[in-house]
Amino acid sequence: MESNTVLGAGIRSFAFHEDDAPVLRDVHLSFEPGTLTAILGPSGSGKTTLGRLLAGWLPPGPGGRLQGCLSLSGTTLQFQGAADDPRINPAQWGRRVGFVPQDASAILSTVRAIVAEELAFGLENAGTDRPAMKAAVERTAVLLGLRGLLDRHPDTLSGGQLRRLAIGCAVIAEPDVLIMDEPFASLDAAGTDELTHLLGPLLRRGTAVVILSQAVEETLLAAERWMVLDGGTLTASGTPAELCASPGLLPAGIRRARINRLGTHRDFRAKLKPKPSHPAQASAPVLELRDVAFGYTDKAAKGRKARAATGGSAGDGPQQVLRGVDLELMPGEIVAVTGPNGAGKSTFLRHLNGLLRPTSGTVLVHGEDISRRPVGEVAAAVGLLFQHPRHQLFERTAAREVRFGLDRRFGGSEAAARTGAALADVGLSAHEDAHPAELPASRQRLLALATVLARRPAVLALDEPTVALDGDGLSLLDAAVRNAAAAGAAVVLVTHDVPYARSVADRLLTLDGGRLAPL
Amino acid sequence: MRLHPLTSLAAAGSTAVITTAAAYLPLSLAVIAAAAGLAAWAGTFRRLLPAAAAILVPLCLSLLVLHGLFFPEGITVLGEWGPARVTSEGLSFAVQRAAQLSAAVLALLVFSFSVSVPDLVAALSAKGVHGRFAFVLASTLTLLPAITSRLERIRQAQEARGLVIRRGILARAAAFRLQAVPLVSVLVEDAATRAAALDARGFGSTGPRTSYREVPDRPWEQMLRIVLLLAAAAAVAARLLQAGT
Repeated sequence: MESNTVLGAGIRSFAFHEDDAPVLRDVHLSFEPGTLTAILGPSGSGKTTLGRLLAGWLPPGPGGRLQGCLSLSGTTLQFQGAADDPRINPAQWGRRVGFVPQDASAILSTVRAIVAEELAFGLENAGTDRPAMKAAVERTAVLLGLRGLLDRHPDTLSGGQLRRLAIGCAVIAEPDVLIMDEPFASLDAAGTDELTHLLGPLLRRGTAVVILSQAVEETLLAAERWMVLDGGTLTASGTPAELCASPGLLPAGIRRARINRLGTHRDFRAKLKPKPSHPAQASAPVLELRDVAFGYTDKAAKGRKARAATGGSAGDGPQQVLRGVDLELMPGEIVAVTGPNGAGKSTFLRHLNGLLRPTSGTVLVHGEDISRRPVGEVAAAVGLLFQHPRHQLFERTAAREVRFGLDRRFGGSEAAARTGAALADVGLSAHEDAHPAELPASRQRLLALATVLARRPAVLALDEPTVALDGDGLSLLDAAVRNAAAAGAAVVLVTHDVPYARSVADRLLTLDGGRLAPL
Repeated sequence: MRLHPLTSLAAAGSTAVITTAAAYLPLSLAVIAAAAGLAAWAGTFRRLLPAAAAILVPLCLSLLVLHGLFFPEGITVLGEWGPARVTSEGLSFAVQRAAQLSAAVLALLVFSFSVSVPDLVAALSAKGVHGRFAFVLASTLTLLPAITSRLERIRQAQEARGLVIRRGILARAAAFRLQAVPLVSVLVEDAATRAAALDARGFGSTGPRTSYREVPDRPWEQMLRIVLLLAAAAAVAARLLQAGT
């Protein structure tokens, strides 16, 4: 490794204790100060494991068997996967290498009452004196645009704010390296821009920034180097220009940028249309919203969603999230609802199956008002894909997850058939015994989708379905949505991914200021 | 003016010790009244009441049953059912004990409902209490809301997949059976992730710690704490001496 390498790894193999097969093998890489590196790989390629290993979140020994070496600022540690291997002190390692996990909230201590204290948590543990701590918090807050939020409780932040706080926690001790796992997932265009602007000052300060991603985002085109991780091993490395020039080097599972899809959405539409005799004109709407309004009550208005919906201003009474929303949805129709982060898209979607009830107005499914029916009954007609797959998955295996509730409704043999078919539709047939929590993010998303598909509902309500999906996952989703619509289901999807929305939807609506309007 | 959390703790603790040691009904009643007044002044009375009832009602009832019915030294018999005799001495003893216990419990409850947990954690670590202890203390107070929100999410996920939960406590209890296992597994999983994050942020380090939060500790409060602790110790000593003579 070169002399100015700040962090390097020569991983011959890395395996978890309970598995024989290595998760990573023959991964040799190094990072220099002030450079931006993207490690690209499809879902399940070992990116997260590599990131955690490099950041000391998965220390060799307790975390797994490493054969190879890790080097940090000139010190190289050799590992043989044996008991007398050197031990990494996560605290000392963490001061030099910051890590932002895919689920940003996982970095929070959860016991600090305000953002400023959460930022300072690492410094407190290192025994930094208070004036230095105050200065560091101030500096980090300026860098990440958190100054107006320092006195807020971390639970009340929106998704984008939370990610900035997580980055703040990782960089406050000015580490030499910052590793971020899928930082762009779940951010809208404005959030992505914000994150991109943060990188400049960090790189100028000399921090080596490493981004693990399953999508080629526009920001990553500015990287010094791309490395491709596939099946746990490095398959290619070079400048973005070199790798873009030979597309064969990027596995199909890596999503090409949003920009790319903008260019191709017209082909998508050409393939899509004409649909087999659009049933919309003939039949009655399967779902209707009439003048639906919704506001969080005082207590709930203190919650994260409501604050997010106001763009951060809290404490001004009950917050109106939806106002006079009207919508008619015909069988076989695909409607996409877009809007910025925090516009109330998820709130809108949760009204379709009754998880939230309108403060005024009605929701009708098959022409029937659902206001007095329990969610569990409405769910037979309206299948909801939650925004966060981890909020939707609760069972021990993928198959049990999909089958939950099917036996009671359809009987054993039908339930088994539907479970098998839904898992096959999302490409998870081989993983039916896997624990949902151990699946990579993209497959968790697909599994959550399978739980919805298995019930073949008349309405599919999908909350940010493209988030966390890799390229293969996106094609599976796309096929599932089109097939469901072709079979007569109505699909409502809310997304901040406008290019995808354009490519798939018959109608495009936008939710802004609580109102639904054509885009 | 806000007291240092350790001062409030010392005040609540010594009040509890002194009323217990004194075993003097007017003092116990005065402390109960003062505690209720303080809670009302601090605006915590309505939250405090159910907690106090949950602890004190069963305890006071059992005291009444135990001493009211079975008090060997009782002379003035008010009623008799087999071995059980209600005596006026027994009743007054039970009332005294109940008032004493209520005073001690209320003093501590008023403290725990009014203290700012972040302040207490910061104050404890400033006094050299180990960070892990402070963390456990803070987590016990953030755990319940965290569990409630997890449970709510699991319930929503199950309802969205056709689980019909009717109104009423029995239906909810039946539904909880389906949510218990997922709840435990998600909490365990969370703990594992959190542990890696805490380690990387230096939580496990054994060196000295500092605190970002400033909790002013005025010299007179330090004096007051010493006085309060001495008073509590004196009350206990007096009680022991009295019992010895």
